[in-house]
Amino acid sequence: MASSILSRMFRRKAKPKVEQLRDVETIKRRRLNAVIGIAVGLATLPLVALYLLLALSSFADRIVTGPDIIEAEYSTTNWKLLFQGKLEPAAGRLYDLRELIMIIVNTFIVALGVTVAVVLISVMAGYAFSRMKFRGRVGLMEFIILLHAFPGVALIIAVYAIYVWSLGAVPKDVLTEYRFLYTILARASLEIPMSIWLMKGFFDRIPWEVEWSAMVDGASRIRVWRQIVLPQIKPGIAAISIFAFLAGWEDLIYVHVFLYTGGIKTLATFLEEVIGNIETTYLPIAAAAGTLYLIPTIVFFVLTQKLLLEAMSGGVKA
Amino acid sequence: MRIPKPNPIWFFLSPALFLIIVFYVVPLFFSIYISFTPLQNWNLARYLDQISLENYERLFYMAMNDPDVTKVVKTTIVFVTITLIFNVLGGLILALSMFFMDESLSLPYRLIWILPRMTPIAVYSLIWYYFFLGDESGTLNSLLLRLGVIEKPLAWGNSPELLPESAWAIIILVNGLVGVSFGMVVFYSALRSLPREHVIAARVEGASAFQMTRYVLVPQLKWHIIYVTVWQLLSLITTYAHIFLLVQWGAIDKWWGSPWALYVFNTAFTTSDQGFAAAAAVILVVIGGILGILVLRLMGFKKLMQEPKGEL
Repeated sequence: MASSILSRMFRRKAKPKVEQLRDVETIKRRRLNAVIGIAVGLATLPLVALYLLLALSSFADRIVTGPDIIEAEYSTTNWKLLFQGKLEPAAGRLYDLRELIMIIVNTFIVALGVTVAVVLISVMAGYAFSRMKFRGRVGLMEFIILLHAFPGVALIIAVYAIYVWSLGAVPKDVLTEYRFLYTILARASLEIPMSIWLMKGFFDRIPWEVEWSAMVDGASRIRVWRQIVLPQIKPGIAAISIFAFLAGWEDLIYVHVFLYTGGIKTLATFLEEVIGNIETTYLPIAAAAGTLYLIPTIVFFVLTQKLLLEAMSGGVKA
Repeated sequence: MRIPKPNPIWFFLSPALFLIIVFYVVPLFFSIYISFTPLQNWNLARYLDQISLENYERLFYMAMNDPDVTKVVKTTIVFVTITLIFNVLGGLILALSMFFMDESLSLPYRLIWILPRMTPIAVYSLIWYYFFLGDESGTLNSLLLRLGVIEKPLAWGNSPELLPESAWAIIILVNGLVGVSFGMVVFYSALRSLPREHVIAARVEGASAFQMTRYVLVPQLKWHIIYVTVWQLLSLITTYAHIFLLVQWGAIDKWWGSPWALYVFNTAFTTSDQGFAAAAAVILVVIGGILGILVLRLMGFKKLMQEPKGEL
């Protein structure tokens, strides 16, 4: 990312000679562009450095902190130990590879579950708010926006109390599935108010005439929604999916409260445990665990840059 | 006679309504109810029928007299105030800088600044855990030792001679870097949608970047600044996820590093005093509700709702 910033900052200077016949105004602007670019770059550097040091430390024999990047020795030892389940070279295994894979799978289940729930529910409700007239439409939408501003996490005590109460009624053999389902729905409900509002905005932008003619020809509302409208809002669905996935992936509090207490680990609670168990000397192994957990987020960032930013500004503009 | 079709509105709305009722409406009333009971260890069957005002009396008494809870109250006030200023001003400065840059150049910067918000919270905590680690392998200690600023490593988050300011500085920095992107995104998209003529006119008149900011851009962002301030105030009062692990791992002092929301969470889930914790949470719920309604008014919600398109 840093090299692309540099190339973008100075790209204009490399243009052919003809372009140098510019008026004073643009030259001033170019200088401003470079000055501010460098200033923001300097302010951004420490932030980037923190992430890079984490990734570097995962390969190093110590936690690298800056100047000692050259002195440290690099190998894949930390990663090997992490996958073997040893948090110290001399210690015994705390877990095996299969368990670690299950932890990663669990994290994906939560993230994908949140994505599916958020997309499905907001695609349905967003359509209703955009296209249908019903009593209390404005009031209900207003209430949903209020929920978006309202701190859902402040209700977590009662949400957990309901969970404890409901666990008694769940048959033993589907207990694990129920724990996942509850975690996913509880986490998804934090995202749903904003997603419904965003989806309504996406539907509002689509012309109504095609749907209308299909309905005049006798197609049902639900069929029109599924076959004609949904294909037109694919970019909106993509944006909401990215957001929902990252929200499910980054979560700590909900997996800690609803899954960890039931003995189900995800990468977040795994990392929480690793730091609790590890001695300072072997922290680079924790760095490897952290880097592993960070990789999907970074991949999403690189692949969906523009969409991510647009969805974010769409979400906050609401 | 044709049989009337079932109303499809229920098909479209019921999943959303179900989640809203189960995870917002019921918990809201249940929270308030629990706050009047002496619930402990999640033993719902045993405690839920004993109603009293005791939790609120205890809460009020402790907030005034208990040495640890008074630390939490002070921390909350300092943390919310300074982080709020940091977030709004920082967001404004970032947005303005991005605005004066070419869009292709500002894109990677904007991405990097929203990275802390999107980073898995446990990884973000780990990064700061390393940074403020109390021995010589911590990033901050290691750098300062090399520069000769300090002679021996310092436990930044919990050494008694540095408290409480050091713990406050850490939680403000950790949360500030997450929150700053919200203001940045709101202000940036507001700046981009200002009429270009204003900017061009100011340029033609020879206004410097500073003059343009002071006299043209910032005055037009007035409502956005108020909106971001209220929104951030709301989320800062109720935020705790990014500090939770730092306290859990012992990187910062348990009391000087806990704002009210984290205190509520730990009282409910680490110790086991849920009735009392619910009373402490109800205060957050009330503040959250009031500020939420304020946000809604600021957004000019009614104007945003257009008539539905799709009625035959």
